[in-house]
Amino acid sequence: MATLELDGIKKKYGELEVVEGLDLSVEEGSFTVFVGPSGCGKSTLLRMIAGLEEITAGELRIDGERMNDATPVERGVSMVFQNYALYPHMSVEKNIAFGLKMLGLPRDDIKRRVAAAAETLQIGALLKRRPSQLSGGQRQRVAIGRAIVREPRLFLFDEPLSNLDAELRVTMRVELAKLHRQIGATMIYVTHDQTEALTLADKIVVLRDGAIEQAGTPMELYLDPANAFVAGFIGSPQMNFLPVTTTGTDAGLRLSSAELYALNVVPDGAGWGADMTLDLGIRPEHLQVGEDLPVRFDINVDVVENLGGTRYVYGSTASGKSVIAETRADAIPRAGDKVTVGFDPVRARYFNANGQRLRHKLAA
Amino acid sequence: MTNAQNTHTTVNEERQRLFRRVMVYVALTVVTLIMAFPIIWMVSVSLKPTVETFSLPPRLLPNSLYLDGYTRIFENPQFRRFLLNSYLLGIVVTILSLAIGTLAAFGFSRYRFFGDKAAKLFVITTQMVPSITLLIPFFGVIVWLRLYDTIWGLVLTYLTFALPYAVIMMNGYLDTIPRDFDEAATIDGCSPLGVLFRVLLPVAAPGLISTAVYTFLLSWNEFLFALALTRSVEMRTVPVGISMMVGEFGLKWDEMMAFSVIGSLPVLVLFMLVQRFVVSGLSAGGIKG
Ligand SMILES: Nc1ncnc2c1ncn2[C@@H]1O[C@H](COP(=O)(O)OP(=O)(O)OP(=O)(O)O)[C@@H](O)[C@H]1O
Ligand SMILES: [Mg+2]
Repeated sequence: MATLELDGIKKKYGELEVVEGLDLSVEEGSFTVFVGPSGCGKSTLLRMIAGLEEITAGELRIDGERMNDATPVERGVSMVFQNYALYPHMSVEKNIAFGLKMLGLPRDDIKRRVAAAAETLQIGALLKRRPSQLSGGQRQRVAIGRAIVREPRLFLFDEPLSNLDAELRVTMRVELAKLHRQIGATMIYVTHDQTEALTLADKIVVLRDGAIEQAGTPMELYLDPANAFVAGFIGSPQMNFLPVTTTGTDAGLRLSSAELYALNVVPDGAGWGADMTLDLGIRPEHLQVGEDLPVRFDINVDVVENLGGTRYVYGSTASGKSVIAETRADAIPRAGDKVTVGFDPVRARYFNANGQRLRHKLAA
Repeated sequence: MTNAQNTHTTVNEERQRLFRRVMVYVALTVVTLIMAFPIIWMVSVSLKPTVETFSLPPRLLPNSLYLDGYTRIFENPQFRRFLLNSYLLGIVVTILSLAIGTLAAFGFSRYRFFGDKAAKLFVITTQMVPSITLLIPFFGVIVWLRLYDTIWGLVLTYLTFALPYAVIMMNGYLDTIPRDFDEAATIDGCSPLGVLFRVLLPVAAPGLISTAVYTFLLSWNEFLFALALTRSVEMRTVPVGISMMVGEFGLKWDEMMAFSVIGSLPVLVLFMLVQRFVVSGLSAGGIKG
């Protein structure tokens, strides 16, 4: 178990800056998830923490100690790879024991610890097999076993579930959460799947183009996104964005658009002004069909996605904006129908032309 | 009705398939016989007294068991010396090319450094020069190095052929092994050389073995340089030894062919070995593709 601090961490490949001056601290025993679109530098950052990639500038500390130039073993990290990377010429047992053997541990110790890890992951029956004789899920378990057996200070995962089929991914996700609770180690997990991030993380770090867009608990990111990128990235289906213009009034500002007749907001913070064009963000789950909600407008239904318990209605507004709304009612709208959708202004989030969040008073 | 017709077709198809099979085997047998004929004849001649060699009609086997060719070869210390030279040369060349070649290939495969592409290209181009054009320059260099008529002169010469080959082959094999293995092993506490010896080479074992076999055979079969760069009888190798039997000892076909059979045995054994080992798929399963 350990804390991790990144202080102005940078990575350059030649002239290309892949990670740009990044600060972050990871608490002891926490589960931190890096999310972001492909190519944003998640893996690069994780590999710098692991000691597989040189750090161009900045300082990396584990338990307060500078570790920029330490080997992975000195750092006390272990890592699970997307491709498992099990050694094909070794049995499962030898794969798991390899790191301990490299540490020069006595045989009995190794045996005991391998058995314990196998027990935790329920792979005891597979110890004599070769990796090629395992299913994808079993391989991933062995890869995790190889990581936990070393009892590292820091666990690193680089998209460990992305090669598994959907069902197995959900099972393994739950097991990873259990494993974290069970061994209580500090874990850092990379994914581009926001569902994995929301379900696993104590803290989510949203990355874009090598910089942190926002870091916080899943609920902070969901409820209080710092910008339109985070708002759009966290939550599924994606948040709807509707352009609105502001007009000044005595009480504050009035928003209007092709869809919205008039909506008053009370600014809470800088950045607001009259005659601005903003984006109003509202999540599909907060844009309900046919509900008697304070702000309403009509949409033409294009497609309905029925998920059983809930359904998402994909439609377009009178001005041609595509929106996604939700309905839990049993009466399912059909393509071509015109339905009324509505939301509570408390649920709306506002972003300026640069995507920066403009905060407003939630309770009038 | 339809059923009966179906059965009929199946029987017909079965017959056709059987026919095709037989034809394939006949073709294979003919080709094998043609290709194996020189070898069969070599073995046959080695088992006959010289007087029977060209007897008509030709006979595959002698009238009675005849192993004089072999016993005379084994009793002659000179031939034992040729065999010893060839084995020594082959083993030294193989070990050196593998040791140096694997390390060089590891560098080419895993690291970027100044001039790496040019260096690799240079290694490849060395393989394109016909070796006979190098005979005279090599002779000069070897004499200048005072290695003429020594086993080390031949080792050095053969290395210039075998080493680039080993580098290219091993580089190819290492390139097929994903970097994830290197990284997993690094995380597990391996140094760069630890990664090579504990993970990459075991995974690339089939490649290592076929490269070893090839370099050994390259040295074992080489004739031209062995002839040109040695002078004394003690320094001769098996191929040169066989050629010497034509002039110096008259034409003792039985001895010559017996020695040829003995000289071919390593080739045969090694090829059988490679066949068993060059089953790819050893690396399958560690990485999700
Ligand atoms: N060795 C390298 N040389 C040059 N550029 C690199 C190198 N490795 C990665 N990059 C670049 O760095 C950026 C970040 O890569 P990285 O692998 O960290 O992305 P990622 O967020 O993990 O993406 P993904 O979700 O696709 O795995 C990419 O634009 C990539 O092209
Ligand atoms: Mg990645």
